[in-house]
Amino acid sequence: MIVADQKPLHEVKEFVETHQKILVAGCGTCVTVCLSGGAAEARLLASGLRIAFQRAHHPKTIEDDTVLRQCDEEFVLPLLEKVKGEGFDAVITLACGVGVNFLADRLGAIPVFPGVNTTFYGAVMEPGLWAEMCSGCGECITHLTGGICPIARCSKRLFNGPCGGSEKGRCEVDPLNTPCVWQLIYDRMKELGRLHELRNIIPAKNWRPALDGGVRHTVRERIYRLEYKNR
Amino acid sequence: MKSGSNLEKVLKGGHFAVTCECGPPRGPNPDDLIGKIDHIKGFVDAANVTDNPTASVRMSSVGASAILFRHGVEPVMQMVTRDRNRIAAQGDVLGAHALGIRNMLCLSGDHQTFGNHPHAKNVFDIDSMQLLHMVRTLRDEGKMDNGDPIDGKMGMFLGAAANPFADPFEFRVIRLAKKIAAGADFIQTQCIYDMDRFRKFMEMARDMGLHEKCFILAGVTPLKSLGMARYMNRSVPGMSIPQRILERMKGVPREAQAKEGIRILLEQIEELQQTEGVAGIHVMAIEWEEKIPEIMERARLIPRPQVD
Amino acid sequence: MTVRSSTQQHKPLPNCSAACPVHTDTRGYAEAVSEGDYERALELLLQANPFPSVCGRICHHPCEKECRRKEVDAPVNLRMLKRFVVENTKDYRRERRRRIEPFRGKKVAIIGSGPAGLTAAHDLALLGYHTVVFEQDSRLGGMLAHAIPRYRLPLHALNEDIDDILALGVEAKTGCRVGRDISLEEIRESHDAVVVAIGLSESVTLPIPGSTSEGVLPGITFLWDVANGHPPPLGERVLIIGGGNVAVDAARTARRLGVSRVFLACLESREEMPAWQWEIQEAQEEGIEILNSWGPKAILSRKGKVAGLELKHCTRVFDEKGRFNPQYDEARTMTLDVDQIVMTIGQRADLSCFNERELAMERGRLMCDPHTLSTSEPGVFACGEVMTGPGSAIQAIANGHQAARAVHHYLQTGERLVLPREEISHLGPLPPRVASLARPMPRKDAALSDPQERTRNFSEIESPFNEQQALEEARRCLACAMGAQLESSQACAGCLTCARVCPFGVATVERTAAMPAEECLACGLCAAECPAAGVALKRFGTNQMKKTLREMLASTHASHILRPFVIAYCCLYETTGRQYLQPQSREEIESSGILRVMVPCVGRLSSLDLVEPFELGADCVAVIACKEGACLYPGSEELLQRRVAHAQKFLEEIGLKWASLQYHRTQENAEASWPAIWKEVRRQIAPESGKEAFK
Repeated sequence: MIVADQKPLHEVKEFVETHQKILVAGCGTCVTVCLSGGAAEARLLASGLRIAFQRAHHPKTIEDDTVLRQCDEEFVLPLLEKVKGEGFDAVITLACGVGVNFLADRLGAIPVFPGVNTTFYGAVMEPGLWAEMCSGCGECITHLTGGICPIARCSKRLFNGPCGGSEKGRCEVDPLNTPCVWQLIYDRMKELGRLHELRNIIPAKNWRPALDGGVRHTVRERIYRLEYKNR
Repeated sequence: MKSGSNLEKVLKGGHFAVTCECGPPRGPNPDDLIGKIDHIKGFVDAANVTDNPTASVRMSSVGASAILFRHGVEPVMQMVTRDRNRIAAQGDVLGAHALGIRNMLCLSGDHQTFGNHPHAKNVFDIDSMQLLHMVRTLRDEGKMDNGDPIDGKMGMFLGAAANPFADPFEFRVIRLAKKIAAGADFIQTQCIYDMDRFRKFMEMARDMGLHEKCFILAGVTPLKSLGMARYMNRSVPGMSIPQRILERMKGVPREAQAKEGIRILLEQIEELQQTEGVAGIHVMAIEWEEKIPEIMERARLIPRPQVD
Repeated sequence: MTVRSSTQQHKPLPNCSAACPVHTDTRGYAEAVSEGDYERALELLLQANPFPSVCGRICHHPCEKECRRKEVDAPVNLRMLKRFVVENTKDYRRERRRRIEPFRGKKVAIIGSGPAGLTAAHDLALLGYHTVVFEQDSRLGGMLAHAIPRYRLPLHALNEDIDDILALGVEAKTGCRVGRDISLEEIRESHDAVVVAIGLSESVTLPIPGSTSEGVLPGITFLWDVANGHPPPLGERVLIIGGGNVAVDAARTARRLGVSRVFLACLESREEMPAWQWEIQEAQEEGIEILNSWGPKAILSRKGKVAGLELKHCTRVFDEKGRFNPQYDEARTMTLDVDQIVMTIGQRADLSCFNERELAMERGRLMCDPHTLSTSEPGVFACGEVMTGPGSAIQAIANGHQAARAVHHYLQTGERLVLPREEISHLGPLPPRVASLARPMPRKDAALSDPQERTRNFSEIESPFNEQQALEEARRCLACAMGAQLESSQACAGCLTCARVCPFGVATVERTAAMPAEECLACGLCAAECPAAGVALKRFGTNQMKKTLREMLASTHASHILRPFVIAYCCLYETTGRQYLQPQSREEIESSGILRVMVPCVGRLSSLDLVEPFELGADCVAVIACKEGACLYPGSEELLQRRVAHAQKFLEEIGLKWASLQYHRTQENAEASWPAIWKEVRRQIAPESGKEAFK
């Protein structure tokens, strides 16, 4: 899941200072799950902005709406219609960066502003704690490391074992919140009876499938541009 | 000979090698560096030139190493993968070679959040192991990482670091073995205080025959004060100072603590000389380079061998 | 012709309501009491039952037996809450009375004025019929007026209900005995329908040797005479035969008449006795000597007067099939010297008011059909104990309601109505896992006067709840099945937050969240934390609260409100009276600058709830939680405090002062500490907020 954190309210407020009718758009999927951009947060932000502008003696019309996903045309369409049909002159989206782009591509002259900072693909380690688990590098190597990714979870993206900063199973960069992933890999490989594999040197990675290779896209031929749909 | 460096010669000649650390200056002026060089010249076989240590900006290790070379101290150029991708790394190695540098230490480098530019983006295109492998390929096969040939031959004595005190302990020797397999000719360890654990580490290394495949230089750092000892014990990850040493430092008045630190170091050096598989020492007298002559003298490690 | 109406499906009822023969909205009135709305509670009571005053005292409260709170500690004292409501809404009840002018042009006669008859009369009057009640006695109420002793049901308490019924326009012909003063035939001539609700007014006597001796008293006659001020002369030792409630009533009555030794002999063991256990216990407290497993063999007499009773040991009362079939050990007997014997072994209807031509009888009983409540004659119906056999008051009331339905149907269609079979779905027991996590709150029982004192006269022995007791007891209601539910599965992202914050381990997420109604204890924490704002509370939802808040503010002149204007969310569970539970007047809000919003546990307030009042014009929001450690819901305090901290940070970003959102805790109770807290809230926010207040 994509994890995002809310932007400070004053920052978001500045984005829309010169606008009059603003829609706060929540997203019902990832950012709802990570408690940063679902319907509840959209309502709270809308209320907060109304209060802030009211107190600054510049009351504005600020509404909120939340759709299931802001990364699919079908779900976004009603939102776009609402924005254009009801005369909103700015949109703040609480979706991840994908949602911001997706709306921006479709909103013509109406500006869209990010309400959250998109951080990583992560999992809930315990209620209230999300941790990065994958960095979308485009070529998974976790078959070599017992399913645990040193690229996403090692602060130095080391491929061949823990650096000297691994102490008591924690990473020196953030010992409180981050385990040393190489300790995890070591323990897991030991459990799997595959410790000897860690003696092999993992060669330098091909970063081309990652963002380093340029902007990525994926085509799924089996449903892509079906001819009967375009007839 | 892989490089023809003095360090390589000393080690291969069976001598107990001594290296030390020489931090580059925080500015463009080489004067301070030259001052440090003067302190250590003649007392060590080679000196490590750190590469933006603890991720804080310093004069580049390539540049500073060249200055050492010019002033008669053989440099061990450190190179971290934090700040350069495989393209820059290979280019820098070739450049360093051209400047006369024949030893290098391949490291991943401290994370930038510990340094003075914590907002920087890191690179970590490759790790230290892969850097070792890459430079060895340049040297032994005359090929770049992508397989393209380089013009001419290159000699380089390749070093790597080992930390016997980090976790998981059992993996430390495996990692050492991997570094050797990747191309390490010599190893410099993290500074040692916990001799018990180091002995255990060496025993494991010997069991795997690693001491015969490369030269292991034991890292040591003189304690300047009890405060420093406590700080390192508490705050430097992967470093533990035994209670015994802390007690010893505590047992002397503040003004005598530096002396006591050196005394401890000397005892340590003596023991290390007796330890099978230890080929030398690497003295990291952090911003205390002026003590190197005294330490070497008292350890009866001078004069340094002249090998040809 | 008979029509069969389809099975009557009730919405799933809470177990208490399901157990109540008239399905009183028990949960509803407990809630209304907890919110200080005693009038609403009374309305709910009267919706189901025209005898709330009577039932508040003598109902055997099957609701409590099924109350799911018993899994946590003990059932909610619903009967006492009912009594509290009735006793605290007397004026309101009088004011709400309205006379119904009969508008259907049809007339119905009710014979008998017990709970069944009067309930039927009440319902039919409401339906627009001219309703006439024929009562042989001078007083209405049947057994309630004559057989239930006054120490359990004082006359004034009965009259509150009867007066209410009569106020509808029900006509009462007292002192009018059918068969003597008027015949059924005559009644039928002048009425369109008749309901026979004559009850079981005669005691059955035992045909054992000596049963005709002087001093053998039929139980009902005995109680009737005492109730009407004609107690029979009694000796020092009286024995009651029977183990039912009438027996216990008779025994306790005898005790109050000064009899020094009152014995009660019954076939049943203590556990088998049909009388309510609490009645038996109270009787024992009063010194009644109970002889279990003894049956009467012969009444011993001297000169035609009772001298004693010979008893034989009863070895078994019921056979394998559970039928009444007593077995005796004839060899084991004992004799007890007594002066009087009261027979309370059962009752039968006094059918002498009808003759067989008028109404078909069968082996001394009225012929009637329990499915249609009809008798042999069209338009003549029967209800109450004469129809059902012995039962409780509330069962008679339920039957009275049914009779009214049957009569109404008959009068509208000419057809008999087959009463629908009731199918009530109700909740299973509270799972032990949930029960073990719920906070125990000891049940409040009614205070009874000292046994020594109470046997001196017929004064009521039970003291009513005071307001604090009632509020505290009402709060014990678990609000079964009124908890959280997902508004729409589309909103749910399956984020698990509900499951993670639920203090009772109730909320689960499969594809979407689920809060099983029978487990949820309605704390509202999942609703407050749901990031999709997708969890609704069937009760205690904060949206309704905010609507009320908006309405209150809409009726208030913002410029007239004393600044700083504080909206105070207060935990209503901390109140001991309804001073702060009742709506504030506009003037009070304006002059105090405090608007109270009473919340059943402030832990259910969402971040939005904490922020939104500022949009509505508040200068400050104060959250007043319960006393330290008093919260009903484990974890609620912590979650609330964190939510408040979150909202404070949010408000600070808007540019509001930290003190704009304050968190306080009640000390002792609401009345003792809230005024001081409000003062403190104003003091903390005061310095600048006056200047930057909303215009």
